[in-house]
Formats: sequence, C-alpha cells, structure tokens
Amino acid sequence: MLHLLKIEWLKVKNYRTFWILAILYLLSIWGINFIVYSVQEKIFEKTSTSGDGSAMVKILVGDKPYAFPKVWQATADVSSFLLFIAGLIMIISVSNEYSFKTHRQNIIDGLSRTQFIMVKLVDGIIIALVSSILVVITGLFFGLFEGHTSVSFDHFEYILYFFLQALSYCWLAVLFAILFKRSGIAIGVFFLYTVILENVLALILNRAFPSSFFLTGTGNYLPIQSSDELMPFPAFEGLQRQISSPVNITVQLILVCAYLIIYFILSKRRFETADL
Amino acid sequence: MNVLTLNNITKYYGRIQALKGVSFNVPAGSVFGILGPNGSGKTTLLGIIMDILKASSGSFQINGQEPTADTRKHIGTLLETPNFYHYLSAERNLRIAAEIKGKGYNDIDSALTRVNLYERRTSKFSTYSLGMKQRLAIASCLLGNPDILVFDEPTNGLDPVGIAEIRGLIKSLAAEGKTIIMASHMLDEVEKVCTHVAILKYGDLITAGNVNEVLVNEDIVEVSAADLQQLETVLRGLNGYSSLKKEGQNIQLLYPMGTANLEQVNRACFSCGVVLNHLLLKKKSLETKFLELTGN
Repeated sequence: MLHLLKIEWLKVKNYRTFWILAILYLLSIWGINFIVYSVQEKIFEKTSTSGDGSAMVKILVGDKPYAFPKVWQATADVSSFLLFIAGLIMIISVSNEYSFKTHRQNIIDGLSRTQFIMVKLVDGIIIALVSSILVVITGLFFGLFEGHTSVSFDHFEYILYFFLQALSYCWLAVLFAILFKRSGIAIGVFFLYTVILENVLALILNRAFPSSFFLTGTGNYLPIQSSDELMPFPAFEGLQRQISSPVNITVQLILVCAYLIIYFILSKRRFETADL
Repeated sequence: MNVLTLNNITKYYGRIQALKGVSFNVPAGSVFGILGPNGSGKTTLLGIIMDILKASSGSFQINGQEPTADTRKHIGTLLETPNFYHYLSAERNLRIAAEIKGKGYNDIDSALTRVNLYERRTSKFSTYSLGMKQRLAIASCLLGNPDILVFDEPTNGLDPVGIAEIRGLIKSLAAEGKTIIMASHMLDEVEKVCTHVAILKYGDLITAGNVNEVLVNEDIVEVSAADLQQLETVLRGLNGYSSLKKEGQNIQLLYPMGTANLEQVNRACFSCGVVLNHLLLKKKSLETKFLELTGN
C-alpha cells in the first residue's frame, strides 16, 4: 500500500489545482469557525452590556460554544459545512484519471483493478484524517482564545464523528466519480445532493413520517443526514430539548458505518467488474 | 512456443457483438499484425488482453499462463491513445509508469532518447503535439525493456518522417527478438513490418497466419465476349486458375501470382469458337486483397 501511495503522491506532487484547493480548504476550516466565533462573540458581548440580558442568553443559548469542552462539538459541526470541498477534491482525483484515461493506463502498466480503487479509497481516509487534524488544531486555537476555561478533552468524541462524516463525504464522492466518470456531472450531482437535495428529502420524509423504528424523523436515515445528526451545534440546547428528542447516537453511528461499508463495496465492485 | 493464446474470445457491448469467438496464437519472436477496418474489434481485443475490458466469454493465456496484473508489468502497451497526466512533464509521467511497472528510473532517459523526446523531457504533456504524445507513449512501452510489446495504431498522428522512424524502431525491436503485437488498419504498415497477420471484420476472425500466406498476391485475367454464357463454359474447362468471378460484362480468372498465361486463354477460347473482345492482365494490389478479405 505504501508503494501505491507513493504513486498517488507522484500524481499530485506537481498538480497545482490540487494544492490550491487543498490549502484554501484547510484555511477555510479555520475561517468558517472564525466567522461563527465572531458572530456568537457579538451576541454575548451585547447582552452582557445590557443589564441582566446575560442571564437570559445563558438560559436560551447555553454556555459559550467556543469554550472548552464544547469547542470540540462546535468546531466539528461548523467545519462540517465545508466537507463538500473535501468531496470535490476527491472527485477531481478520481475523475481526472477518467478524463486523462490514466485509469486505463495504470491498469495496462500493471496495477490490478483492486489496487487502483483501494488506493483511491485510502486517499479518502487520508483527506478525512487531515481534515480532522485541522479541526482539532482549530478547536484548540479557539478554545484557548476564549480562555475562560482550561483545556479539556471532554467530548473529544465529536472529532471522531467529524472524521466519520468527512470519510462519508469522501467515499460518496469516490462512488459518484466512479459512476459518472465525467467530473462535471459528478461534481454537479454531488453538490446538489449533499447540499440541497438530501436536506429537502430529509424535510419531506420527516414531515411525512415523523418517527420510524429507532429514530425520530425518517430523514435521519439518509446517507449524509445520518452523520450530520451526530453533531448538532452546541447552542440553544435547552430549546432543542424542548422541540425534539435527543439524538440516538448508537443508531446514527451504526447507520454511518453501514453507509461507509456500502460506498466501499459498491465502488470496489463497480471498478473491478466494469469496462474501463 | 506461443506468447499469446486466444480461446474463443467474445465480447458484447449491450446487444452489439464486437468480437465473435476469436481464437488465434501469437508465436514468440513474431511481429504480429492485427488488421481490420475501423470498428472491426482490434482495440476491443487488445483491451481485453490488458484487462481494461472484460470479455463476455472466452479466455486467453500469456506465455502459457493465466494472466495477472504482474504479467502486464512485463508488457509494453500503447492502447488506442497516449494516456498521460496533462499537467505533468514527460519525465514525471514516465516516472509514474516506471513506478507502477516496478522498474527503476534509469531507463527513462534512454527511452526518451530513442523516440527523440529527450530535449523536451521537462515540457508538460499538454504542450505536446499529437505526434509527440504518440512517441511518448511508445517511450513508455520501452521502459524496463519488456519482451512483449503491444502497439495499437502506433503511427497514428505521426508525420511521414515519424512514421518511418517508428517503423524503423519496430523493426529494430523485432531484430532484438521481442514479440510485437500490432493493430492497424493500414495494410502497407502490416505488410512492411509484420511476419504474421490476423484479419478481423466486424468481430469475426477472417483469417490468421503467416503474412506471405494470408496476403498472397494474385494475377487477374479479365476477359469478355459477345456470348458470356458460352465463354464461361469454355473458361471453366481451363485449368490452373484458382477462382472465377463474374464482373458485369467481364469474367475474371484469378491465378496464383506469375502463373497467368494470356496466350493460352486466348487460344483455348478461339479454338472453341469464342472470340474475345476483351483480354486484360491485372496485377492485384494488396489493397484489393484486403478489401476483398474484409468484404468492402
């Protein structure tokens, strides 16, 4: 596998598009958190100067989301809005091979089909890992900056949830790229599905079937939604508890893993058996 | 000893049958041409051998063994188009190929020199002309000095000088004892460099064998007379010809090369009371032979 990864490295080492996208994406993880941090900071600032508003806010909003230990949950959730970019990088990495026909050439030169698809899936794991590490660094940064509480790794499991969601995006992206082959259609469908269509579908399902088996909201069974549910934003929790029942973490985790296995098997089987 | 053995390879694209039970052997050390018009299944056949297409049925062996990914590492293949990373230089593209084949980078410079690309080795692939791309693909085939080479339309996109160079290269590779499998729709290309040939038409194997046997030349004697019926009866009584064909107002007699005798035909007809109004010896070109074999 190390040898296969070395070949992947040779492919991206001098690929400017990849590096520009990757660096902007990683910077944006910090950036999007900075935006949310600034907004919530303003809310807390305003209310603390207007008399006893702060008590009201505390009841409504809860503790500061960017203070330890809630910061892990906050950064994980906020950063997850950028994961479609991780998926985009992954789609480019696969569909480039199709447009240059190098997926054929790699096989002709002596890779097995299994090796080719496996290393792409491992690329997905690496992208998810690097994203998660950036989220940890961002979390530490804002947690320390907030400064009211000492460093704590309580609720660090949210970083694991983030990793699983990142991997879901990456592997779904690989599957889309393998099914559609052309980057334009793969990227278009991937964006529309993950950003808009699934959310619409989830709303409709939740409305039509408010509860089913283990979960409230049938929409929470959907591929991306099931991992989204793992990381609600840590604010208005009091309110959230009033209007909806708590997340069933175990069931959501099982769902996320089941989807990952499905992406893995479908991508692998498709690439191993199709005409390239 | 056969380098490649095909057993009844069949391939469907949906309802279209691209290959219809093709079987033949490629002997070691031969330059084996796969000849056929566009869409006859040449590339499909090579694609199946390289595992980028899956055969609907049938099997093949390379060096007498079931093929694996490792087998392909020892075959240099150019299939259909040169496939490289557009944003990388020639040199970096060849490093990827060498890395996949498990060969060192030592061969890269000599391979680039052999196809006259050494001076442009640091240019991006996207800046190359079609001919240069084709030559880079051939350089990639040469990495690791493989014993088997597979070329699909190797002179595609090359100028006349480039075509001559590649033909020279193929001949020198053959002289080194390598087995070369080459698909082409260009008859003179096959005629000039190949020792063996297989002819495909719409997925059917028409014939396969030694190039001198398959692409044998023939003499054609074309005759005509007022009474065609009677002429035919007389001609059928002759011996030495291999086949007889009616072409409009003419009748053609096909003889093995150099054996047609016009005098003899004329005399035979006249003595039977048939007066010829047309008598012509045509040399058959390979082109017509090919068209005849592929039925166009």
